[in-house]
Amino acid sequence: MAIDQVHDLQQVYRKILHSMSRPGTISSLSEVAEHIDFNLTCNDATFLSAMTFLDAEVTFHILSKDKQNLIEKISEYTSARYAPISEADFVIILREDTDAAIQNALEQCKNGNLIDPQQSSTWIIESTLLSNTGELTLTGPGIQHTSQLHTSFSPSMWQVRNERTKEYPLGIDLIFADDAAQIVCIPRTTSVKMMGVS
Amino acid sequence: MKANTHFAFFDEGSKKEIRRAIMKAVAIPGYQVPFASREMPIARGWGTGGLQITLSIIGKNDVLKVIDQGADESVNAVSIKKMVHETTGVELTDRTEEADIIQSRHRIPEVALTKDQIIVLQVPTPEPLRGVEASEYVTKRMHSEDDYSGVWLMLFEQIMKYGKTATTADHPVYVNHRYVMAPSPIPRFDNSKMHQSDALILLGAGREKKIYAVPPYTDVKSLAFEDYPFTVEAFEDKQCHLCGSADVFLDELIDHHTGETIHQCNDTSYCMEQLNKVEKAEVESSYA
Repeated sequence: MAIDQVHDLQQVYRKILHSMSRPGTISSLSEVAEHIDFNLTCNDATFLSAMTFLDAEVTFHILSKDKQNLIEKISEYTSARYAPISEADFVIILREDTDAAIQNALEQCKNGNLIDPQQSSTWIIESTLLSNTGELTLTGPGIQHTSQLHTSFSPSMWQVRNERTKEYPLGIDLIFADDAAQIVCIPRTTSVKMMGVS
Repeated sequence: MKANTHFAFFDEGSKKEIRRAIMKAVAIPGYQVPFASREMPIARGWGTGGLQITLSIIGKNDVLKVIDQGADESVNAVSIKKMVHETTGVELTDRTEEADIIQSRHRIPEVALTKDQIIVLQVPTPEPLRGVEASEYVTKRMHSEDDYSGVWLMLFEQIMKYGKTATTADHPVYVNHRYVMAPSPIPRFDNSKMHQSDALILLGAGREKKIYAVPPYTDVKSLAFEDYPFTVEAFEDKQCHLCGSADVFLDELIDHHTGETIHQCNDTSYCMEQLNKVEKAEVESSYA
């Protein structure tokens, strides 16, 4: 059974909205992910997030050099255009991307301007298993006290991310998507602190 | 001929655009995100902003409540409810606790909202600086420069003229210590419900083409001076003439028969629930 562009993507959107308004809250897309019958070179949650947000009005960038096939597929399914990292509205990071390449992309991507802070990039990041027992402590809007999180981002990447969101309201918003079809969001307002960095 | 409308009225492209705007709004609390407001089957200024948000987020299994100035059965609320129901088939409710999405004009319900609910507020004038600056080009720059002297001056002038801040509704608030936001024309009584709310608050202005949001657990502070602290509408010694509730927002009415001033709950479903509780207690006690 194929995914339902109307109802499945609405469900995915609500899960992402729930997670975006409550940073650190992990939501599961597994019910919808079962409907996916494509054979894609990215995980289900990444694909569903892209399908939910992309259309002909926005652009996307895929970091990995040898993913021409995936770029074509996403363009065909959504009509979104591929753009260089400095212009892309959505940046899709796959598991094979190296720390150095991601850091470089973090530095180059759009983070808005003071008059139009919404003209920033949203990141969809393929991650290892997400969990709420982790090295990150989150605080900020949407979090009642604090929240713990583990993602595939290394401490040095969080440092670059923190640097790019320092001049609030400028910043980037991140959606992490793991292989178990779970997602978690870190908008620009979230303060991310690393613990036990040895 | 009756057109067979798509689920939730909108085409999927429109929903995507509005959904993206909502995401940005959540990520930048209190900032007005521009969006391509659609032509709706109701007139602009009658809740098209709220309606567009509701239609973009609603799913088959959601339960919807729509209120207009606290009432579930006023014309605006009923027509919006009918439209959403006819195009989605979602279940409708009057009870605040049962709703997943609550679209509201000018009130936040008396019953505390939960973390699984989303409240969508209809906004006529999203720009708190509009009263002091007519140009959108300039107000956007004022927001970017954190320049809110105009809105403080507006409150100061009210104190000079009337001896107090005279905002009847839509009293401006600071969101997440950064953006000054128009909370939509809710009474000052409701401003505190936005502070550290459990529910997500989305605000939509259709005519002005803006969407903004207050995520849960976000600081929302009503603008006030040290020597003129923020005050809410006071209903001391007053209670609802129907259900007897005291700590709620009351409407002041005139009893047509006696000519007396009476007070009544503004939130009709809350009032009804209080009355039903009394009724139930009476029935139970009469059985005993």
